[in-house]
Amino acid sequence: MKAFMLFGHRFLILMATVFLISCSSLSVIRHTDRAAAADAIQRCRRPFLDIPYRVVHSIEAALPGGKTGTVVGVTVFDPAAGTIHSVIMTIEGFVLFEARYEKGGLRVDRAAPPFDRGHFAAHIMEDVRLIFLAPQGRLADAGVLENGSSICRYYENQDRIVDVVVHQDDTWEIETYRTSHERLRKIRALSVQDKIPGILELTGFESSNYSLRLKLISAEPVSAQGQ
Amino acid sequence: MDFTMIDSRATKCVFLIMMILSCPVMLGWADNWEDIQKESARIKSVSAHFSQEKHLQILTKPLVSKGRFYFQAPDSIRWEYTSPVKSVLLMHKGNIKRYTMGSKGIVEESGGTVEAMQIVLQEISLWSKGQFTGNKHFSATIKGTKGPQIILTPKEKGLSAIISRIVINLSADRPGVMKSVKIVENEGNYTLFEFIDVQINVNISETLFREVG
Repeated sequence: MKAFMLFGHRFLILMATVFLISCSSLSVIRHTDRAAAADAIQRCRRPFLDIPYRVVHSIEAALPGGKTGTVVGVTVFDPAAGTIHSVIMTIEGFVLFEARYEKGGLRVDRAAPPFDRGHFAAHIMEDVRLIFLAPQGRLADAGVLENGSSICRYYENQDRIVDVVVHQDDTWEIETYRTSHERLRKIRALSVQDKIPGILELTGFESSNYSLRLKLISAEPVSAQGQ
Repeated sequence: MDFTMIDSRATKCVFLIMMILSCPVMLGWADNWEDIQKESARIKSVSAHFSQEKHLQILTKPLVSKGRFYFQAPDSIRWEYTSPVKSVLLMHKGNIKRYTMGSKGIVEESGGTVEAMQIVLQEISLWSKGQFTGNKHFSATIKGTKGPQIILTPKEKGLSAIISRIVINLSADRPGVMKSVKIVENEGNYTLFEFIDVQINVNISETLFREVG
């Protein structure tokens, strides 16, 4: 019985540690004056293009257990319509995944395993949406971080907080949390030129950590009809 | 987001295509299977540049990749992309490895390649003898005489879900040289491989099939 209780205590301590590690505190937003907040809101729009675009990336995936792989992703997004069309293929050109995120919801046109598993397709498209489309939630706060970067905090449906941070060198980050402050995703945009990042790094922190590194191959505006 | 656990069908497809693309070595200039088998026997190695055009409905212009290809009979292949993503696939003496340039330099990819390897090596062994008609995965038909066209159609449902047909165009004026391979997935979506500077039966260092270089 004593041994069981000792195990129980250790288990609780372990679980508490895991919980604390998975939780992060939200960044502290400083409020200087109204003009600064307005400026922050303006700067927080920088990561998000306002016309339809087609982007092609090489995607380097690093997964639990040291597994790695590289695929090519093509994404067409229309910020005004809130639509996304994504294709993921092997370097040799085999299409593994194709899906659209439209007003009617998610439509998967093609999903070779493991893309057909459970909510995998929905999670991929959610990551894509997070990268390319502005948060849809309520803007709850805006200001600056201690380092002078602009930050805007959105509360979205589904128990999610989205922080958009734009640094003074125009690179940017997006972080998402549950309302319990458990961190979900972190996106870093690097080598930004004309509002287009040369590199995007996405890290997922949910049940198992993973990271995706998107290296830009091409980016071009498209007409809404040309999608 | 387990990209490396990519469908074994897709993995198999990638390697089957590598095998098909090694056909410059295997295909003679002939209009029947017997002659193709005869012509196949005389080609021992090949070296070529290739371009790969990926046509997708989502793209207004194709995504073009370029690289180099080497084959040494019976079953050594180096399939190297130089742009836009640097990647090397090596098949040599039963070993298969794939390396890709990433943020940490050129690294070997982990994933489901080994399973497909045995199938591919068995297929290469058959195809290198020009034995298209006995192929387990594709049924083959031949059209035309000078500059003939070989059309491969998947036999298995798993493969046909990914590829609807493969069209191999042979050179009209250079026996043993393949001009292009078109892999059709569905309407509007296909991959076109074209070969240039094709050299047959030249000496190729074994190192090319063992090391990324």
